[in-house]
Amino acid sequence: MIRIKFLIASLLLAFTGIFLFSCTKNNSDSSSIVFTFSHTVDGQPVQFDTIKYINAAGNQYSVSNIQYFVSDFKFWKHDGTQINYTNPQDIHYVDTDIPGTFTWNFSNNIIPGDYDSITFNFGIDTLKNKPGLFSTTPEMDMSWPAMMGGGYHYMKLNGKWIPAGGTEAMPFGVHLGIGRVYNSDSTYHDVQNYFTVKLDKSFTILNGQTKTFNINMNIEKWFKYPYVYNFDVYGGSIMGNQEAQNIFKKNGKFVFSESISSR
Amino acid sequence: MKGLLRLATNPESVHICIIRLICVLSVLFTGGCKKEKESSYTPTPYTIQIPKFFPSNLNIPADNPMTVEGITLGRYLFYDGRLSGRTSPDSLMSCCTCHIQEYSFTCGINNPSFPGGMPHGLTGIPTPHAMMPMINLAWNNNGYLWNGLIRTDNPDTHRRNIEDLVWMGITAPHEMHGDTSRTVALIQSIPGYPELFKKAFGSDKVTMKNIGKAIAQFIRTLISSNSRFDKYLRGETQLSEQELSGFEIFTTENGGDCFHCHGESGNPLFTTNLFYNNGKDTVFTDTRDRYHVTGRTPDIGAYKAPTLRNVEVRGPYMHDGRYKTLDEVIDFYSGKVVWSPYIDPLMHHVATGGVRLTSKQKSDLKAFIHTLRDDEFLTNPDFAKPATFPDGTK
Repeated sequence: MIRIKFLIASLLLAFTGIFLFSCTKNNSDSSSIVFTFSHTVDGQPVQFDTIKYINAAGNQYSVSNIQYFVSDFKFWKHDGTQINYTNPQDIHYVDTDIPGTFTWNFSNNIIPGDYDSITFNFGIDTLKNKPGLFSTTPEMDMSWPAMMGGGYHYMKLNGKWIPAGGTEAMPFGVHLGIGRVYNSDSTYHDVQNYFTVKLDKSFTILNGQTKTFNINMNIEKWFKYPYVYNFDVYGGSIMGNQEAQNIFKKNGKFVFSESISSR
Repeated sequence: MKGLLRLATNPESVHICIIRLICVLSVLFTGGCKKEKESSYTPTPYTIQIPKFFPSNLNIPADNPMTVEGITLGRYLFYDGRLSGRTSPDSLMSCCTCHIQEYSFTCGINNPSFPGGMPHGLTGIPTPHAMMPMINLAWNNNGYLWNGLIRTDNPDTHRRNIEDLVWMGITAPHEMHGDTSRTVALIQSIPGYPELFKKAFGSDKVTMKNIGKAIAQFIRTLISSNSRFDKYLRGETQLSEQELSGFEIFTTENGGDCFHCHGESGNPLFTTNLFYNNGKDTVFTDTRDRYHVTGRTPDIGAYKAPTLRNVEVRGPYMHDGRYKTLDEVIDFYSGKVVWSPYIDPLMHHVATGGVRLTSKQKSDLKAFIHTLRDDEFLTNPDFAKPATFPDGTK
């Protein structure tokens, strides 16, 4: 009888163990970083397709949609060393028409400790920005024609502005990418217009902690500092205008701000 | 546990209990691994081969994986006029009545049955819009029809994919104006079809759901990837100087600025499958535009940018077929674009009425567009009408 009781008890224990084990969460000590992306004008969430904004040049404008790439995220320590958690091909696409792109689960293997800042590239660097980098849409729809330098748009910021003295809102496309500059002898050279953004906020991440970095695009700053951008001067399409591209390249470093939350 | 221990005082009950316990646990642990026996239903999986430079993300519903048998059946049904549920020779209608291969699966502008290339249904009711081509639809992840009504995230589960368009094609007054129960009954009665349904879907019972699935599978095989431009991209041929000039015009913002909506070498589908108000009108009364799907004001007067593959064989152009020739279309984009509050932000040149091409630029652009013609697609026997239907009729 004791053997029978022992047998039943053993069976129950064994199977209870199996079931419990299968339901137990794997509790590791790795830390995680999540990036989220938001877009504001003058401190308020952008309201699309409404001519309600005025930029530093005095242009009345609206924003219809924004698509862009961020890449090469690096984490910097106090002593100046950097930790690169991503593979070179890790590039994130943000599209204001696709809310699912606003969250990027960046890494679950962050080394706990103190960090000084984070940097990333706005756009895609020279080595990676080649045709065929992406094999899915909508990223493929960001392609930047070979005739204009090739690779992919870093950004499409589409909207409308009211030209001076006018009443009708005209389309604009702040499209950034490689700039092809033609020389007087019909030769050309290409200018890389991607740039590095620094999120200059120190933080500490603990064992098992998840930190969420919200990266906010302050849209009005594209047109503000250090160069004032005037749609009446440059018009609505700038892919072939390196002077205009350069303004956005310079201003872009000051466009983003960050906030951090933990859980 | 107490109950089990009480049982232990009765050896017979204990044995029964143990046996039952082992049986239950055995079933639990083996059931999940046991493969269901499907002796009579073994369709052959069909995998779309992604052409070079094409996107890899396809729109194939999880509940309708492609199979050789499904595609075969779908092709028969696509071409069988009895799909309309009718047998009288003057009442036959199938998908192919309007979707004709040589016109890139539109009805064709010179088709005497459809004057001006604007189709009408079996009972004479005109369709609300011009036809869109059936090319590379497996890559469309942004909704079907000019307004994208048929989309995978549609709350109406009967308006989500090509399968649902088949259903709509049979019932819509401006198409077959039919009755699905009559269609199902007729197809069921035709010798050969029940066996094909069994091979494709495991049951010889014809259902409307499986009719939709089969035809959708066939439509997803209609792939164009072998135009002269494709061959140029693959390094298999060279384009002429004029064609290359046209390509440059196509892909430059200060040229034709076509690529933002119609793609280019970076997306050789030659469409983004998105929706744009391209500046044709200032007054908008069509209740089938994008706005009537999304309710968003900026979508007023917006329609899908169709692929430009084989565009030369599929006029008339625009959602309402207002332009009969490619020349008219190029003239429109060059100098007849009109402003409205709803014009798409990508129509950068509206202030000047369009992109202002010279006559040479227009010719060059047209020459490039001709390189998107894919004769292999237009004559592929796998896409053509079967020699005979399952019952031996032609």
